[in-house]
Parts: sequence; C-alpha cells; structure tokens
Amino acid sequence: MSNTYSNNDSISINFTAIVLGWLLPGLGHVSVGQKRRGFLIMGGVLFLVFCGALVGGIDAVDHNKDGLWFIAQVWCGPVVIGIDLLNQTFIAPLPIADKVTLVGLSHANEMGTLFIAMAGLMNFVVLLDVIQAKRGEDFELRSHAQDRRAS
Amino acid sequence: MLAWTPFLEPMNAMQSVWYLLLLPMVFGISVVYRALREKQYATYWRSVAIMSGQVVIGIVGIAVALGFFVQIVIPLLNQP
Repeated sequence: MSNTYSNNDSISINFTAIVLGWLLPGLGHVSVGQKRRGFLIMGGVLFLVFCGALVGGIDAVDHNKDGLWFIAQVWCGPVVIGIDLLNQTFIAPLPIADKVTLVGLSHANEMGTLFIAMAGLMNFVVLLDVIQAKRGEDFELRSHAQDRRAS
Repeated sequence: MLAWTPFLEPMNAMQSVWYLLLLPMVFGISVVYRALREKQYATYWRSVAIMSGQVVIGIVGIAVALGFFVQIVIPLLNQP
C-alpha cells in the first residue's frame, strides 16, 4: 500500500490561532488573515452568549450547580469564565430570600444555559476549523484553494 | 417588567413563550456555522436564512410529530 500523502497534505497546527480563538471567539481566524470569516464567527458566538445572559441572567453560567453545562459553555473562553465569576461573587453567596429574583427558574434558566452552551459548542467547532485554516484563505480564496486541492 | 434588571435578573417575561427563543438561537448557530462552511460571501446571508429556516421547520416538524404521538397515538393505545 503506497503512501498517497504528499508534503502539501501535511497539516500544520497553529497553536497560537487556537489559543486566540479560545480567548475571543473568531480571533483565531482573524489572526490567520481570515478577517471577514473571523468577525462573523465572533458576532455569532457573542450574540449567543449575549442572548443567554440576557434571558437567563448571569446565573445561566454556574460551574458549581451546572457543572456539565459549564464544560460546554467554557469553550467560549474568558467571557464565560467572567460571567461565572460574577455569578459566584454577587449571586451565589446571597441568602435564598435575597437571590430569589436573581436566579433563573424553569424555562428562563434552561434557555439561558442552553444559549451559552450552544455558543461554547459552536466555538469548539470553530477551534477545530482553525487547526487547519490556511493563512489568508477567506471566503472566496478558500473555495479556490479547495478546487486546487481537488484537481 | 419595569423592575427587571437586564443580565442581573432572568427574563421571566419569556417563561410562557420560551419556544420563541428558538429563533435567535438558530440564527446565532447559523451565523457561526455558515461562516465556516460558506465558500462565497455573496451567498452568505442567504445561506444563513435558509439554514435558519430549515432548522426551525425541522424542530417544528419534530414537535408536531411528538405532539401527535403523545396526544393521539398513546391515548388510542391505552384504550381497552
């Protein structure tokens, strides 16, 4: 069985882009020159996080009570860790009588948590994409490069 | 609603219409996914709209099918 891979097929992993993509969703793609794609990703992921925090309040991120959800949410990076920090600092320590209006119940909490979890999982997909992203292959250029590789 | 503090308090006004939140969620997911998959920016927003519509129709279809099964099929099966 012959090895059909050439040197051009080898994947070079861009760790800097992955870290940047985790620090701020979309920044990984921007750093490899895919600015338009990166800013669209940034807008989409941050829109989901914004909606989640708006619907569920900052209680939508809670690594103590919603640990499994937090595993999905944390792929959004420091923005989610910051929301969790705010929750643990300002809401979690309050007595039940004081935090009754601050903690999401039923659908508000579920949807808020789900919004941010979906944002995290989508950013995980984005990070997988940026692993093999080629420098400067924005929208039109990526399709041309795919055609070249196919031919 | 007037006393609601955004981000600090959950949006409890949406409790009864929570399913409408599917729309912004699907839109956000489509924006990110199509940004990765679309080959040409000229067709990007059209693809986002199409994907959003497809997902919403799919979920509504599943909801209708499940509703039909739970509300009609299961009661029929329970009849002696």
